[in-house]
Amino acid sequence: MSSTLDVSSRERPHDEAPPGRGHDAPRATRKKSGRLAPYLFLAPWFAGLLFITAGPIAASAYLSFTDYSLIGSPEWIGLDNFERMFNDPRFYQSLKVTFIYVVVSVPLQLAFALFLAMVLDRGLKGLALYRSVYYLPSLIGGSVAIAILWRQIFGSDGLLNQVLRFIGFENPPGWVSNPDYALGTLIVLNVWTFGAPMVIFLAGLRQIPTMYYEAASLDGAGKARQFFQVTLPLLSPIIFFNLVLQTINAFQTFTQAFIVSGGTGGPADSTLFYTLYLYQRGFGNFDMGYASALAWFLLLIVGGLTAINFLASKYWVFYGD
Amino acid sequence: MHTIRTQRARAPWPTRLGVAGGVLGLLLTTAACGGDDGGGAAADGGTTREDGPVSMRFSWWGSDTRHAATQELIDLYESQNEGVTIEGDFTGFADYWDRLATSTAGGQAPCLMQQDTRYVREYADRNALLDLTPYIEDGTIDTSDLDENVAETGAVEDATYAIPTGVNAFSVVIDPQAYEAAGVPVPDGSSWTWDEMVETAAQVTQASGGQVYGMQAMGLNGGDTNFEVYAREQGEALFDENGEIGFTQDTLVDWWNIEKEASETGAEPPPSTTVEVFNGGVDQALVATGRGASGFWWTNELPALTAGAGRDLQFLQFPSAEGNGETGMYLKPAMFWAISSDCESPQEAAMFLDWLINSEEAVEIIKADRGLPVNTELRDQIAPTLDDAGQAAVAFVEEITPDLQEPPALPPQGAGEVQAILQRYTEQILFDQISVEDAAEQFMTEVESAIA
Repeated sequence: MSSTLDVSSRERPHDEAPPGRGHDAPRATRKKSGRLAPYLFLAPWFAGLLFITAGPIAASAYLSFTDYSLIGSPEWIGLDNFERMFNDPRFYQSLKVTFIYVVVSVPLQLAFALFLAMVLDRGLKGLALYRSVYYLPSLIGGSVAIAILWRQIFGSDGLLNQVLRFIGFENPPGWVSNPDYALGTLIVLNVWTFGAPMVIFLAGLRQIPTMYYEAASLDGAGKARQFFQVTLPLLSPIIFFNLVLQTINAFQTFTQAFIVSGGTGGPADSTLFYTLYLYQRGFGNFDMGYASALAWFLLLIVGGLTAINFLASKYWVFYGD
Repeated sequence: MHTIRTQRARAPWPTRLGVAGGVLGLLLTTAACGGDDGGGAAADGGTTREDGPVSMRFSWWGSDTRHAATQELIDLYESQNEGVTIEGDFTGFADYWDRLATSTAGGQAPCLMQQDTRYVREYADRNALLDLTPYIEDGTIDTSDLDENVAETGAVEDATYAIPTGVNAFSVVIDPQAYEAAGVPVPDGSSWTWDEMVETAAQVTQASGGQVYGMQAMGLNGGDTNFEVYAREQGEALFDENGEIGFTQDTLVDWWNIEKEASETGAEPPPSTTVEVFNGGVDQALVATGRGASGFWWTNELPALTAGAGRDLQFLQFPSAEGNGETGMYLKPAMFWAISSDCESPQEAAMFLDWLINSEEAVEIIKADRGLPVNTELRDQIAPTLDDAGQAAVAFVEEITPDLQEPPALPPQGAGEVQAILQRYTEQILFDQISVEDAAEQFMTEVESAIA
């Protein structure tokens, strides 16, 4: 999504087509080939959506009403899978872990992203370089390699604890192997991948006309007042966009928890993310029917929260004009 | 994609593409779901090399040394058997089961697969494995020289779904130098008790100032087997003959109390360290890194542990309650070979399986990596050629065999989950999140529903 926002220049609004191409073509030919061409370009994506995504989605909807062991044939059991969820303590545990993660890490990440975007927006030299550097964690943060690296850094005898011992802490805990800290460490890892929302914030900040700030400062508003009265309201659509996107992302977190806990959601289920539990049921425990039901329930949760987000946005998002 | 070609001429083709694609997608998924009926019974011959070149997939889990040795086996067999191509496919243990389950669901199961006690029934009961009885009866798979302790362990009622690759015993591995450095005498394996185990271990930890831990946690690495040994000493079992829970809650409480005491007295490392050591696998084991005086391991894991430790490690029998050496230890089929019921050339797969267990050349290559060879004649033959760690395993198994219990029957479906459940409750106990009694009660309920 971030690629659709043009960060590099504020002169050209991005809804205006680039000059030249297409305009000179006679209307008749445009009608014929012009109609087909976009679809042809879309076709590979569309075929992928149908065969690779939509098919399994439809199948999982059916499977969620069955007892399907992955090896045998699915057997229709109606709503049993959904009833089972409400008596499953690990289902509640995974919900708890996931909600804590979303509620803590998303606001932190957005605040951090906004802060850095504002620092970068002050017209530093070498802005492009900083932007890339800060964006890097977003690109690699979800990768297996980084999760393994974090497991090393945050281990009992990892880099972090060696530093802590050096500066005088006697008994630093194992940040990923102690249930009291493991989830917190994963939250920090998520906050660290602030690059994507930061780039979007940066684009948003650059679209706020400077005259508002000039007017505000003429009226005697300080920096803080300018931030709350000018920046935040004008940026609210962007904040909203980031909030929705990052919330959905956070609900789907899987890789980090899978690698850091060795696929168990441990220690003691403290990092049992919803998606990780779903994966365990489906692929580890021959319980694909239940896993499909869990997947659809997650869709309901995320859909519901997104709807609430949109409803609530009426009260705080300011679209100008 | 071919839908695109045909649609050019007519007008509302995006809709048509959508409908056609949707239908096709549904067909594909239903096909994928329904592709595994049938199977089970011995196939009607299938293809052999006489019908033209045969290609089979062969999958296993293991370490790098095993991958290299197994690839060598494949190359040798192919060079001796023209027209047979074997495609090796390997991963680590945890990923292996995800992959096997998905490929079986897609009707793409490997012809010959390495199997584990915990999962044989999971697959056999769902008709995913071929009954090998006809191949045993017609002599394709020769079972006459197999270790009689374990030869029948792949049987479910009248059918034989799996042939053991070798035998193994779960035992205690100790580092004598660690005891010596701590000034603690090495316990006598024939007479030590559970209390003694925790006490001496705590002494080692204390004497080394916490640099070396006396023992490792019982409930994480191989926790289900570890508990099974304890339960069998009490005359119980993890699962009984009927595939029901075979132990009492009290026994589990007693066992977890030993763990709890070991944790509180410092006999074993702090829980965080335990979790990290477990995640690191065999390479990061306490006894393999010079940070532990003892641990619980399979006999075929000794070479890997020794390689890590860089010094000689020894086996010890499990402790017992009375100190009379009557432990719950048993000889276990290390792993199994099994043939998929989807296999197109079962006859060829059976011939390859027979070669793997009964040919001298094959056993000489794989040595004791899949357990001490199940063919006892070949086991004796290769014993002198093994390295020190391998020879120690042979000697130890021979020494304790008279005292060993019968191997347990194949556990029921869902047994693969027990290890993870046990590990989770052990972690909760070690981190003081739950009492031993509550953990035992919840464990029983959870296992009950896992195998239901």
